[in-house]
Amino acid sequence: MYLFNVGRLPGQQSMLVFHALARMGVEALVIASPKSPLASIGYFQDAEKEIDLSFCRQHGIPFMRREVGGGATYLDENQIFYQLIWKRSNPGFPVQMRQIFERLSIPACETYRKFGIEASFRQENDIVNQEGKKIAGEGGGDIGECMVFVGGILLDFDYETMSKILKVPDEKFRDKVYKSMEENVTTMKRELSDIPPREEIVQTLIREYEKLIGKLEPAVMDARLVESMNTLEKQFTSKGFLFKKTRRKPKGIKIRGGVEIRYGIHKAKGGLIRTVEELEERKITEIGISGDFQFYPKDELTSMEVELRETEFEEQELRGKIQQFYEEHRVQAPGVTSEDFTTAIIHSQPERPE
Amino acid sequence: MEIEGYQFPEDLYYDKEHYWCRVEGNVVVMGTTDFAQKMAGEIVYVQLPLVGKSITQGKPCGALESGKWVGRIYAVVSGKVLEVNEELEDSPELVNQGPYDRGWMFKVEPSNLEEDLKNLIQGDDLVKFVKSEIIRVAAET
Repeated sequence: MYLFNVGRLPGQQSMLVFHALARMGVEALVIASPKSPLASIGYFQDAEKEIDLSFCRQHGIPFMRREVGGGATYLDENQIFYQLIWKRSNPGFPVQMRQIFERLSIPACETYRKFGIEASFRQENDIVNQEGKKIAGEGGGDIGECMVFVGGILLDFDYETMSKILKVPDEKFRDKVYKSMEENVTTMKRELSDIPPREEIVQTLIREYEKLIGKLEPAVMDARLVESMNTLEKQFTSKGFLFKKTRRKPKGIKIRGGVEIRYGIHKAKGGLIRTVEELEERKITEIGISGDFQFYPKDELTSMEVELRETEFEEQELRGKIQQFYEEHRVQAPGVTSEDFTTAIIHSQPERPE
Repeated sequence: MEIEGYQFPEDLYYDKEHYWCRVEGNVVVMGTTDFAQKMAGEIVYVQLPLVGKSITQGKPCGALESGKWVGRIYAVVSGKVLEVNEELEDSPELVNQGPYDRGWMFKVEPSNLEEDLKNLIQGDDLVKFVKSEIIRVAAET
Protein backbone atom coordinates (compact mmCIF):
# COMPACT_ATOMS: atom_id res chain seq x y z
CA MET A 1 0.00 0.00 0.00
CA TYR A 2 1.25 3.44 -0.92
CA LEU A 3 1.54 6.60 1.10
CA PHE A 4 0.78 9.87 -0.65
CA ASN A 5 1.78 12.56 1.82
CA VAL A 6 0.97 15.43 -0.50
CA GLY A 7 0.79 18.41 1.84
CA ARG A 8 -1.44 21.27 0.78
CA LEU A 9 -3.16 20.92 -2.57
CA PRO A 10 -5.46 23.35 -4.37
CA GLY A 11 -8.90 22.96 -2.78
CA GLN A 12 -10.65 20.41 -4.95
CA GLN A 13 -7.51 18.45 -5.71
CA SER A 14 -7.15 17.55 -2.05
CA MET A 15 -10.39 15.59 -2.49
CA LEU A 16 -9.96 14.50 -6.12
CA VAL A 17 -6.82 12.57 -5.27
CA PHE A 18 -8.67 9.79 -3.42
CA HIS A 19 -11.41 9.64 -6.03
CA ALA A 20 -8.79 9.14 -8.72
CA LEU A 21 -6.78 6.54 -6.81
CA ALA A 22 -9.94 4.54 -6.07
CA ARG A 23 -10.90 4.49 -9.75
CA MET A 24 -7.36 3.46 -10.65
CA GLY A 25 -7.55 0.62 -8.13
CA VAL A 26 -4.50 1.91 -6.26
CA GLU A 27 -4.47 1.07 -2.57
CA ALA A 28 -3.12 3.97 -0.60
CA LEU A 29 -3.22 6.27 2.38
CA VAL A 30 -3.42 9.91 1.36
CA ILE A 31 -2.60 12.72 3.77
CA ALA A 32 -3.60 16.10 2.36
CA SER A 33 -4.98 19.50 3.20
CA PRO A 34 -6.74 22.00 0.95
CA LYS A 35 -4.61 25.04 0.23
CA SER A 36 -7.73 27.18 -0.10
CA PRO A 37 -11.18 26.77 1.42
CA LEU A 38 -14.02 24.91 -0.21
CA ALA A 39 -17.44 23.62 0.66
CA SER A 40 -18.12 19.94 0.20
CA ILE A 41 -21.42 18.11 -0.01
CA GLY A 42 -22.14 14.43 0.40
CA TYR A 43 -22.87 12.23 -2.58
CA PHE A 44 -26.65 12.32 -2.26
CA GLN A 45 -27.13 15.90 -1.25
CA ASP A 46 -28.85 18.45 -3.43
CA ALA A 47 -26.47 21.42 -3.60
CA GLU A 48 -29.19 24.02 -4.01
CA LYS A 49 -30.96 22.75 -0.91
CA GLU A 50 -27.90 22.36 1.28
CA ILE A 51 -25.44 25.14 0.39
CA ASP A 52 -25.89 28.90 0.34
CA LEU A 53 -24.53 29.17 -3.17
CA SER A 54 -24.86 32.92 -3.22
CA PHE A 55 -22.68 33.29 -0.13
CA CYS A 56 -20.12 30.89 -1.57
CA ARG A 57 -20.01 32.77 -4.86
CA GLN A 58 -19.65 36.16 -3.17
CA HIS A 59 -16.78 34.90 -1.03
CA GLY A 60 -15.01 32.88 -3.69
CA ILE A 61 -15.62 29.55 -1.97
CA PRO A 62 -15.99 26.78 -4.54
CA PHE A 63 -18.05 23.76 -3.68
CA MET A 64 -17.69 20.17 -4.73
CA ARG A 65 -19.67 16.97 -4.44
CA ARG A 66 -17.75 14.04 -3.00
CA GLU A 67 -18.55 10.40 -3.68
CA VAL A 68 -18.74 9.44 -0.03
CA GLY A 69 -21.49 10.00 2.50
CA GLY A 70 -22.17 12.58 5.15
CA GLY A 71 -23.35 16.16 5.00
CA ALA A 72 -22.29 19.58 3.86
CA THR A 73 -19.08 20.81 5.38
CA TYR A 74 -16.54 23.61 5.12
CA LEU A 75 -12.97 22.55 4.50
CA ASP A 76 -9.80 24.60 4.77
CA GLU A 77 -6.10 24.22 5.47
CA ASN A 78 -6.76 23.81 9.17
CA GLN A 79 -7.79 20.24 8.54
CA ILE A 80 -5.48 17.33 7.79
CA PHE A 81 -7.36 14.82 5.66
CA TYR A 82 -6.66 11.12 5.93
CA GLN A 83 -8.03 9.14 3.02
CA LEU A 84 -7.61 5.37 2.89
CA ILE A 85 -8.26 3.42 -0.29
CA TRP A 86 -8.26 -0.36 -0.51
CA LYS A 87 -9.65 -2.98 -2.86
CA ARG A 88 -12.92 -4.60 -1.87
CA SER A 89 -11.29 -7.97 -2.28
CA ASN A 90 -8.48 -7.15 0.18
CA PRO A 91 -8.95 -9.58 3.08
CA GLY A 92 -6.94 -7.34 5.40
CA PHE A 93 -9.81 -4.91 5.81
CA PRO A 94 -13.21 -5.28 7.50
CA VAL A 95 -16.26 -5.58 5.28
CA GLN A 96 -18.86 -4.53 7.75
CA MET A 97 -19.35 -0.78 7.68
CA ARG A 98 -19.38 -0.31 11.45
CA GLN A 99 -16.13 -2.19 11.80
CA ILE A 100 -14.58 -0.21 8.95
CA PHE A 101 -15.27 3.03 10.74
CA GLU A 102 -14.32 1.81 14.18
CA ARG A 103 -11.07 0.12 13.16
CA LEU A 104 -9.89 2.74 10.68
CA SER A 105 -10.57 5.56 13.18
CA ILE A 106 -7.96 4.15 15.56
CA PRO A 107 -5.00 6.01 14.01
CA ALA A 108 -6.74 9.39 14.23
CA CYS A 109 -7.80 8.70 17.82
CA GLU A 110 -4.27 7.63 18.73
CA THR A 111 -2.85 10.72 17.03
CA TYR A 112 -5.06 12.96 19.13
CA ARG A 113 -4.08 11.03 22.25
CA LYS A 114 -0.39 11.42 21.50
CA PHE A 115 -0.96 15.17 21.68
CA GLY A 116 -2.88 14.94 24.94
CA ILE A 117 -6.48 14.80 23.73
CA GLU A 118 -8.52 11.83 24.91
CA ALA A 119 -10.26 11.02 21.64
CA SER A 120 -12.39 8.02 20.89
CA PHE A 121 -14.61 6.71 18.13
CA ARG A 122 -18.34 7.09 18.54
CA GLN A 123 -21.30 5.92 16.48
CA GLU A 124 -22.40 7.27 14.16
CA ASN A 125 -19.02 7.74 12.84
CA ASP A 126 -17.41 10.67 14.50
CA ILE A 127 -14.38 10.98 16.67
CA VAL A 128 -15.13 12.74 19.92
CA ASN A 129 -13.20 14.08 22.90
CA GLN A 130 -13.78 13.00 26.49
CA GLU A 131 -16.73 15.39 26.76
CA GLY A 132 -18.37 13.92 23.70
CA LYS A 133 -17.61 16.88 21.45
CA LYS A 134 -16.89 16.03 17.85
CA ILE A 135 -13.24 16.48 16.88
CA ALA A 136 -13.25 14.70 13.52
CA GLY A 137 -15.91 13.80 10.99
CA GLU A 138 -15.59 10.71 8.84
CA GLY A 139 -17.26 9.16 5.85
CA GLY A 140 -16.79 6.43 3.31
CA GLY A 141 -18.05 4.68 0.25
CA ASP A 142 -17.58 2.25 -2.56
CA ILE A 143 -15.81 3.75 -5.57
CA GLY A 144 -15.11 1.44 -8.49
CA GLU A 145 -13.53 -1.75 -7.22
CA CYS A 146 -12.30 0.01 -4.10
CA MET A 147 -13.58 1.13 -0.75
CA VAL A 148 -12.67 4.52 0.60
CA PHE A 149 -12.58 5.80 4.17
CA VAL A 150 -11.98 9.50 4.79
CA GLY A 151 -11.72 11.83 7.72
CA GLY A 152 -10.01 14.99 8.90
CA ILE A 153 -7.96 16.00 11.93
CA LEU A 154 -9.34 19.35 13.04
CA LEU A 155 -6.48 21.67 13.85
CA ASP A 156 -8.84 24.62 13.98
CA PHE A 157 -12.29 25.35 12.59
CA ASP A 158 -14.03 28.37 11.16
CA TYR A 159 -17.41 27.92 12.83
CA GLU A 160 -18.76 31.17 11.49
CA THR A 161 -18.05 30.44 7.85
CA MET A 162 -19.30 26.90 8.30
CA SER A 163 -22.64 28.22 9.49
CA LYS A 164 -22.72 30.68 6.60
CA ILE A 165 -22.13 28.22 3.80
CA LEU A 166 -25.20 26.27 4.83
CA LYS A 167 -28.58 26.91 3.29
CA VAL A 168 -30.88 27.76 6.18
CA PRO A 169 -34.51 28.91 6.36
CA ASP A 170 -33.72 32.04 8.35
CA GLU A 171 -31.03 33.72 10.40
CA LYS A 172 -32.48 32.48 13.66
CA PHE A 173 -31.83 28.94 12.46
CA ARG A 174 -28.33 29.87 11.38
CA ASP A 175 -27.61 31.32 14.83
CA LYS A 176 -28.83 28.11 16.39
CA VAL A 177 -26.59 26.06 14.12
CA TYR A 178 -23.60 28.26 14.87
CA LYS A 179 -24.19 28.12 18.60
CA SER A 180 -24.68 24.37 18.55
CA MET A 181 -21.49 23.85 16.56
CA GLU A 182 -19.54 25.96 19.02
CA GLU A 183 -20.87 23.79 21.83
CA ASN A 184 -20.54 20.42 20.16
CA VAL A 185 -17.51 20.59 17.87
CA THR A 186 -14.00 21.09 19.16
CA THR A 187 -10.52 21.30 17.67
CA MET A 188 -6.89 20.78 18.58
CA LYS A 189 -6.54 24.51 19.11
CA ARG A 190 -9.46 24.62 21.53
CA GLU A 191 -8.31 21.56 23.42
CA LEU A 192 -4.63 22.52 23.64
CA SER A 193 -4.79 26.33 23.35
CA ASP A 194 -2.36 26.01 20.46
CA ILE A 195 -1.84 23.92 17.35
CA PRO A 196 1.15 21.55 17.48
CA PRO A 197 3.50 21.62 14.48
CA ARG A 198 1.64 20.26 11.46
CA GLU A 199 4.45 17.95 10.37
CA GLU A 200 4.53 16.30 13.79
CA ILE A 201 0.82 15.60 13.57
CA VAL A 202 1.16 14.23 10.05
CA GLN A 203 4.05 11.93 10.95
CA THR A 204 2.21 10.68 14.02
CA LEU A 205 -0.87 9.92 11.94
CA ILE A 206 1.20 8.03 9.38
CA ARG A 207 2.95 6.00 12.09
CA GLU A 208 -0.38 5.10 13.65
CA TYR A 209 -1.77 3.98 10.31
CA GLU A 210 1.32 1.86 9.70
CA LYS A 211 0.81 0.19 13.06
CA LEU A 212 -2.67 -0.74 11.92
CA ILE A 213 -2.28 -1.63 8.24
CA GLY A 214 1.43 -2.26 7.81
CA LYS A 215 4.36 -0.44 6.29
CA LEU A 216 3.46 2.08 3.63
CA GLU A 217 5.52 2.72 0.55
CA PRO A 218 6.01 6.46 -0.05
CA ALA A 219 4.77 7.54 -3.46
CA VAL A 220 4.45 10.76 -5.39
CA MET A 221 1.68 11.98 -7.61
CA ASP A 222 2.88 10.81 -10.99
CA ALA A 223 1.65 11.86 -14.42
CA ARG A 224 -0.90 9.07 -14.58
CA LEU A 225 -2.48 10.10 -11.28
CA VAL A 226 -2.44 13.78 -12.17
CA GLU A 227 -4.05 13.04 -15.53
CA SER A 228 -6.73 10.97 -13.82
CA MET A 229 -7.39 13.82 -11.39
CA ASN A 230 -7.60 16.34 -14.21
CA THR A 231 -10.10 14.17 -16.06
CA LEU A 232 -12.14 13.77 -12.92
CA GLU A 233 -12.01 17.49 -12.25
CA LYS A 234 -13.82 18.15 -15.51
CA GLN A 235 -16.56 15.75 -14.50
CA PHE A 236 -16.74 16.92 -10.90
CA THR A 237 -16.96 20.60 -11.83
CA SER A 238 -19.59 20.07 -14.49
CA LYS A 239 -22.95 21.61 -13.74
CA GLY A 240 -24.64 18.27 -14.23
CA PHE A 241 -22.61 16.69 -11.47
CA LEU A 242 -22.46 19.62 -9.07
CA PHE A 243 -26.13 20.43 -9.32
CA LYS A 244 -27.33 16.87 -9.65
CA LYS A 245 -30.86 16.68 -8.39
CA THR A 246 -31.40 14.08 -5.76
CA ARG A 247 -34.68 13.39 -4.08
CA ARG A 248 -33.10 13.43 -0.67
CA LYS A 249 -34.92 15.90 1.52
CA PRO A 250 -32.84 17.70 4.13
CA LYS A 251 -34.33 16.97 7.52
CA GLY A 252 -32.13 19.22 9.55
CA ILE A 253 -28.50 19.90 10.14
CA LYS A 254 -26.51 17.28 11.95
CA ILE A 255 -23.94 18.87 14.24
CA ARG A 256 -22.42 15.66 15.49
CA GLY A 257 -23.63 12.12 16.16
CA GLY A 258 -26.87 12.45 18.13
CA VAL A 259 -27.16 16.23 17.86
CA GLU A 260 -29.12 17.95 15.13
CA ILE A 261 -30.98 21.17 14.50
CA ARG A 262 -34.38 20.93 12.91
CA TYR A 263 -36.69 23.53 11.54
CA GLY A 264 -40.45 23.36 11.30
CA ILE A 265 -43.03 25.47 9.58
CA HIS A 266 -46.78 25.06 9.57
CA LYS A 267 -49.60 27.29 8.44
CA ALA A 268 -52.36 27.22 11.03
CA LYS A 269 -55.66 29.06 10.52
CA GLY A 270 -54.47 31.68 12.96
CA GLY A 271 -51.07 32.25 11.35
CA LEU A 272 -47.72 30.80 10.45
CA ILE A 273 -45.81 28.84 13.09
CA ARG A 274 -42.04 28.47 12.86
CA THR A 275 -39.99 26.27 15.14
CA VAL A 276 -36.28 25.68 15.55
CA GLU A 277 -35.28 22.87 17.82
CA GLU A 278 -32.05 21.30 18.90
CA LEU A 279 -32.28 17.59 19.44
CA GLU A 280 -29.87 15.44 21.37
CA GLU A 281 -30.41 11.69 21.15
CA ARG A 282 -33.93 12.41 19.86
CA LYS A 283 -34.87 14.64 22.80
CA ILE A 284 -35.53 18.34 22.52
CA THR A 285 -32.81 20.22 24.38
CA GLU A 286 -33.89 23.64 23.18
CA ILE A 287 -36.74 24.98 21.11
CA GLY A 288 -37.69 28.36 19.76
CA ILE A 289 -41.22 29.02 18.54
CA SER A 290 -42.17 32.08 16.57
CA GLY A 291 -44.60 33.22 13.92
CA ASP A 292 -47.39 35.64 13.16
CA PHE A 293 -50.03 34.09 15.39
CA GLN A 294 -51.56 35.39 18.60
CA PHE A 295 -50.89 33.63 21.86
CA TYR A 296 -52.24 34.54 25.31
CA PRO A 297 -51.01 34.85 27.98
CA LYS A 298 -48.12 36.29 25.94
CA ASP A 299 -45.34 35.17 28.31
CA GLU A 300 -46.60 31.63 28.22
CA LEU A 301 -45.15 30.96 24.79
CA THR A 302 -41.69 31.13 26.36
CA SER A 303 -42.96 28.93 29.18
CA MET A 304 -44.16 26.40 26.64
CA GLU A 305 -40.71 26.38 25.04
CA VAL A 306 -39.18 25.68 28.44
CA GLU A 307 -41.78 23.00 29.14
CA LEU A 308 -40.92 21.19 25.91
CA ARG A 309 -37.25 20.79 26.81
CA GLU A 310 -36.29 17.20 27.53
CA THR A 311 -39.35 15.97 25.64
CA GLU A 312 -38.88 12.98 23.40
CA PHE A 313 -39.07 14.04 19.74
CA GLU A 314 -42.02 11.76 19.17
CA GLU A 315 -45.48 12.71 17.97
CA GLN A 316 -47.61 11.23 20.74
CA GLU A 317 -45.40 12.54 23.48
CA LEU A 318 -45.28 16.05 22.02
CA ARG A 319 -49.00 16.09 21.41
CA GLY A 320 -49.71 15.09 25.00
CA LYS A 321 -47.37 17.65 26.48
CA ILE A 322 -48.56 20.56 24.37
CA GLN A 323 -52.21 19.69 24.97
CA GLN A 324 -51.59 19.50 28.70
CA PHE A 325 -49.84 22.86 28.58
CA TYR A 326 -52.76 24.42 26.73
CA GLU A 327 -55.17 23.15 29.41
CA GLU A 328 -53.08 23.98 32.46
CA HIS A 329 -52.17 27.47 31.30
CA ARG A 330 -55.55 28.19 29.68
CA VAL A 331 -53.91 29.19 26.45
CA GLN A 332 -55.89 31.37 24.10
CA ALA A 333 -54.48 31.29 20.59
CA PRO A 334 -57.11 32.19 17.98
CA GLY A 335 -56.96 29.74 15.08
CA VAL A 336 -53.95 27.93 16.54
CA THR A 337 -54.57 24.67 18.36
CA SER A 338 -52.19 22.51 20.33
CA GLU A 339 -52.28 20.14 17.36
CA ASP A 340 -50.95 22.91 15.11
CA PHE A 341 -47.87 23.25 17.30
CA THR A 342 -47.38 19.50 17.29
CA THR A 343 -47.57 19.46 13.50
CA ALA A 344 -45.10 22.32 13.18
CA ILE A 345 -42.56 20.64 15.43
CA ILE A 346 -42.82 16.99 14.55
CA HIS A 347 -43.22 17.26 10.83
CA SER A 348 -40.17 19.45 10.60
CA GLN A 349 -39.23 18.96 6.99
CA PRO A 350 -37.13 22.01 6.46
CA GLU A 351 -37.86 22.73 2.84
CA ARG A 352 -35.46 25.60 2.87
CA PRO A 353 -36.22 28.45 0.56
CA GLU A 354 -34.78 27.84 -2.92
CA MET B 1 -36.00 -19.70 7.17
CA GLU B 2 -33.89 -18.27 9.90
CA ILE B 3 -30.11 -18.50 9.78
CA GLU B 4 -28.54 -17.62 13.11
CA GLY B 5 -31.10 -14.93 13.84
CA TYR B 6 -31.37 -13.53 10.31
CA GLN B 7 -34.45 -14.06 8.16
CA PHE B 8 -34.14 -15.51 4.67
CA PRO B 9 -37.50 -16.38 3.06
CA GLU B 10 -37.15 -19.66 1.25
CA ASP B 11 -38.97 -18.66 -1.91
CA LEU B 12 -36.34 -16.05 -2.77
CA TYR B 13 -33.07 -16.29 -4.67
CA TYR B 14 -29.98 -14.66 -3.20
CA ASP B 15 -26.67 -13.37 -4.48
CA LYS B 16 -23.35 -12.95 -2.71
CA GLU B 17 -23.69 -9.19 -2.53
CA HIS B 18 -26.54 -9.69 -0.04
CA TYR B 19 -29.41 -8.92 -2.36
CA TRP B 20 -32.47 -11.07 -3.08
CA CYS B 21 -34.96 -11.48 -5.86
CA ARG B 22 -38.42 -12.97 -6.12
CA VAL B 23 -39.80 -14.24 -9.40
CA GLU B 24 -43.40 -13.19 -9.98
CA GLY B 25 -44.32 -14.48 -13.40
CA ASN B 26 -42.55 -12.26 -15.92
CA VAL B 27 -41.39 -9.82 -13.30
CA VAL B 28 -38.55 -10.07 -10.80
CA VAL B 29 -38.66 -8.08 -7.56
CA MET B 30 -35.39 -7.17 -5.86
CA GLY B 31 -34.23 -5.95 -2.50
CA THR B 32 -31.55 -6.38 0.14
CA THR B 33 -31.42 -9.03 2.83
CA ASP B 34 -32.18 -8.94 6.54
CA PHE B 35 -28.49 -9.64 7.21
CA ALA B 36 -27.36 -6.74 5.02
CA GLN B 37 -29.78 -4.22 6.49
CA LYS B 38 -28.72 -5.13 10.02
CA MET B 39 -25.05 -4.80 9.12
CA ALA B 40 -25.70 -1.44 7.44
CA GLY B 41 -27.60 0.12 10.33
CA GLU B 42 -30.12 2.87 9.71
CA ILE B 43 -30.43 3.49 6.00
CA VAL B 44 -30.88 7.18 5.34
CA TYR B 45 -31.14 7.29 1.57
CA VAL B 46 -31.73 4.91 -1.30
CA GLN B 47 -30.94 5.84 -4.89
CA LEU B 48 -32.75 3.44 -7.17
CA PRO B 49 -32.13 2.90 -10.88
CA LEU B 50 -34.30 4.81 -13.28
CA VAL B 51 -37.34 3.11 -14.75
CA GLY B 52 -36.44 1.88 -18.21
CA LYS B 53 -32.77 1.45 -17.41
CA SER B 54 -31.07 -1.79 -18.39
CA ILE B 55 -29.20 -3.49 -15.59
CA THR B 56 -26.74 -6.37 -15.60
CA GLN B 57 -26.48 -9.14 -13.06
CA GLY B 58 -23.70 -8.52 -10.56
CA LYS B 59 -23.12 -4.91 -11.64
CA PRO B 60 -23.95 -1.84 -9.54
CA CYS B 61 -27.27 -0.26 -10.48
CA GLY B 62 -28.01 2.04 -7.56
CA ALA B 63 -26.67 3.22 -4.25
CA LEU B 64 -27.67 3.70 -0.67
CA GLU B 65 -26.32 5.54 2.33
CA SER B 66 -26.16 4.51 5.94
CA GLY B 67 -23.96 5.94 8.67
CA LYS B 68 -22.17 8.25 6.19
CA TRP B 69 -21.20 5.31 3.99
CA VAL B 70 -22.32 5.24 0.36
CA GLY B 71 -22.68 1.66 -0.74
CA ARG B 72 -23.70 0.14 -4.07
CA ILE B 73 -26.89 -1.70 -4.91
CA TYR B 74 -26.12 -4.65 -7.16
CA ALA B 75 -28.43 -6.12 -9.80
CA VAL B 76 -29.50 -9.62 -8.87
CA VAL B 77 -30.61 -10.42 -12.42
CA SER B 78 -30.23 -8.69 -15.75
CA GLY B 79 -33.10 -6.89 -17.39
CA LYS B 80 -35.01 -3.65 -17.69
CA VAL B 81 -36.24 -1.74 -14.65
CA LEU B 82 -40.04 -1.63 -14.71
CA GLU B 83 -40.90 -0.02 -11.42
CA VAL B 84 -39.16 1.34 -8.35
CA ASN B 85 -40.44 1.54 -4.77
CA GLU B 86 -41.20 5.23 -4.50
CA GLU B 87 -41.98 4.89 -0.79
CA LEU B 88 -38.26 4.51 -0.15
CA GLU B 89 -37.73 8.10 -1.28
CA ASP B 90 -39.37 9.49 1.84
CA SER B 91 -38.95 6.48 4.05
CA PRO B 92 -35.64 4.71 3.41
CA GLU B 93 -35.99 3.12 6.84
CA LEU B 94 -38.53 0.74 5.29
CA VAL B 95 -35.54 -1.23 4.05
CA ASN B 96 -34.54 -1.77 7.67
CA GLN B 97 -38.09 -2.40 8.87
CA GLY B 98 -39.16 -4.80 6.15
CA PRO B 99 -36.38 -5.75 3.72
CA TYR B 100 -38.55 -8.42 2.08
CA ASP B 101 -41.87 -6.61 1.95
CA ARG B 102 -42.31 -2.86 2.27
CA GLY B 103 -38.58 -2.38 1.72
CA TRP B 104 -38.54 -3.96 -1.77
CA MET B 105 -36.42 -1.83 -4.06
CA PHE B 106 -37.34 -2.29 -7.70
CA LYS B 107 -38.94 -4.61 -10.24
CA VAL B 108 -37.30 -5.83 -13.39
CA GLU B 109 -38.36 -7.43 -16.66
CA PRO B 110 -35.66 -10.09 -16.82
CA SER B 111 -33.66 -10.59 -20.00
CA ASN B 112 -31.80 -13.77 -19.14
CA LEU B 113 -33.64 -15.24 -16.18
CA GLU B 114 -32.94 -18.92 -16.59
CA GLU B 115 -29.19 -18.39 -16.81
CA ASP B 116 -29.12 -15.71 -14.15
CA LEU B 117 -30.94 -17.88 -11.63
CA LYS B 118 -28.19 -20.49 -11.97
CA ASN B 119 -25.78 -17.91 -10.52
CA LEU B 120 -27.94 -17.36 -7.44
CA ILE B 121 -28.22 -19.44 -4.30
CA GLN B 122 -30.91 -20.98 -2.12
CA GLY B 123 -31.25 -23.74 0.46
CA ASP B 124 -28.09 -25.37 1.76
CA ASP B 125 -25.81 -23.21 -0.38
CA LEU B 126 -27.45 -20.14 1.09
CA VAL B 127 -27.05 -21.42 4.64
CA LYS B 128 -23.38 -22.17 4.00
CA PHE B 129 -22.76 -18.74 2.50
CA VAL B 130 -24.60 -16.79 5.18
CA LYS B 131 -22.88 -18.68 7.98
CA SER B 132 -19.50 -17.94 6.44
CA GLU B 133 -20.41 -14.26 6.23
CA ILE B 134 -21.54 -14.25 9.85
CA ILE B 135 -18.23 -15.81 10.87
CA ARG B 136 -16.33 -13.29 8.77
CA VAL B 137 -18.14 -10.36 10.37
CA ALA B 138 -17.77 -11.81 13.86
CA ALA B 139 -14.02 -12.14 13.33
CA GLU B 140 -13.86 -8.41 12.66
CA THR B 141 -15.27 -7.43 16.05
